[in-house]
Amino acid sequence: MDHNWDFATIFTNWRVYWVGLQATLLMFGVTVALGMLGGLFIGILRYMKHPAAAWPSRAFVEVFRNTPVLVQIIWFYYAFPILTGIETSPFLAAVLGISLNTMAFSAEIYRAGIQSIDKGQWEAGKAIGMSFAQTMRRIILPVALKTVLPALTNRGIEVFKMSTLASVVAYTETLSQAKLIAELNYNPIESYTAVALIFFVVLYPVVQGTYALERVLNRSDR
Amino acid sequence: MEWDFSPVIGSLDILLFGLLNTLKVTGLALLLGVPLGLGLALMRLSQNRPVSMISAFIIEFFRTTPPLVQLFWFFFAFPILFNINMTPYTAAVVTFSIQSSAFFAEIFRSGIQSIDHGQWEGSKAIGMSRNQSLRRIILPQAVKRMIPAFMERSIELLKTTTLVSTIAYTDLMYQANSIAQSTFRPLEVYSVVAVIYFVLIFTFSQLSIMIEHRLAKSGEGTVN
Repeated sequence: MDHNWDFATIFTNWRVYWVGLQATLLMFGVTVALGMLGGLFIGILRYMKHPAAAWPSRAFVEVFRNTPVLVQIIWFYYAFPILTGIETSPFLAAVLGISLNTMAFSAEIYRAGIQSIDKGQWEAGKAIGMSFAQTMRRIILPVALKTVLPALTNRGIEVFKMSTLASVVAYTETLSQAKLIAELNYNPIESYTAVALIFFVVLYPVVQGTYALERVLNRSDR
Repeated sequence: MEWDFSPVIGSLDILLFGLLNTLKVTGLALLLGVPLGLGLALMRLSQNRPVSMISAFIIEFFRTTPPLVQLFWFFFAFPILFNINMTPYTAAVVTFSIQSSAFFAEIFRSGIQSIDHGQWEGSKAIGMSRNQSLRRIILPQAVKRMIPAFMERSIELLKTTTLVSTIAYTDLMYQANSIAQSTFRPLEVYSVVAVIYFVLIFTFSQLSIMIEHRLAKSGEGTVN
């Protein structure tokens, strides 16, 4: 290992990384918001017994959970415009792929959370004259959301890592910026090590936070 | 808009070749990643503080960095650093073995930790060493509880292998890209490839759900 490490070019080019990191954060913010809100809606549909709600939501979840997210992004970038005539920018294609994928995964998390709530809660809501929607909103969801919080945070971490896939359709997020620097300065070692470190530094505290969160939730259940 | 599947059907053998490579990389990464994961888990559970901390660092590092970044690192940076040659195939196998081993390690750890402490004490009482208790008493029970989490992780691994197409390894995704470019039929090509992945992954998912039900019926607990 006689390589002369040269992180100086990384620091002089910090703006390039910063542009990439901002794009990564934007991609993460949009996809996590769409994915987790849409997922809640689909999760509730999945829970409902009516076939008009249960079947389409089941199909949606199975399709997007059982295909690789890279295939989804590429499909939205190259195939979707031909099918619909709607041009998709790299940003839009990546947002569609990642948020639909996240919707499917988080829908299953929400559904499991809702199903874990005791039947008696539903009956109690009904007994005091609440509708399905009222019981769901006022009684079931507040409890269910608390139980699924750790699983949702883990999903959020996955979504953050997934944002790098947008580089494949040339969206200028952190990884594609690092690739640019590696090619311009012939320093792939420092450049790619820097991206890995950026992700580690951002996500490591979050992961530790989820451990603490799980401990707190476990304690409050007792 | 007219659908025309003939270019895809004409290149089915190319896609099949890609599919085999996808399965090959997944299989090899599993074969190397599982024992590596067990090793990392045992290190993490070790009483020796530095050993446990090193393993925790490796696990957390590979769990918090994106697999695509790891793949680029092993393909573009690692060969220069150690002055060796790295084909896309080796880079893919190395990356996904290590990446999945970090996740398998956490599955092994929660499996081992889920076993009641009395089991350790029981085997100690009849004169077994720590290694013997682990091998004969703890692991056989822990592994059974790990099966659903293990299968879920393997399915994730299969999906993650699509990333190798970005470093030009001829997996199913890469073959799709090249057929789409040469036939100018991206809609049909990518749709067919999505269906192939779906059929493959859906089958594995259903299989894993079936096994999970079986285990639940036998009264066996599971870990995440």
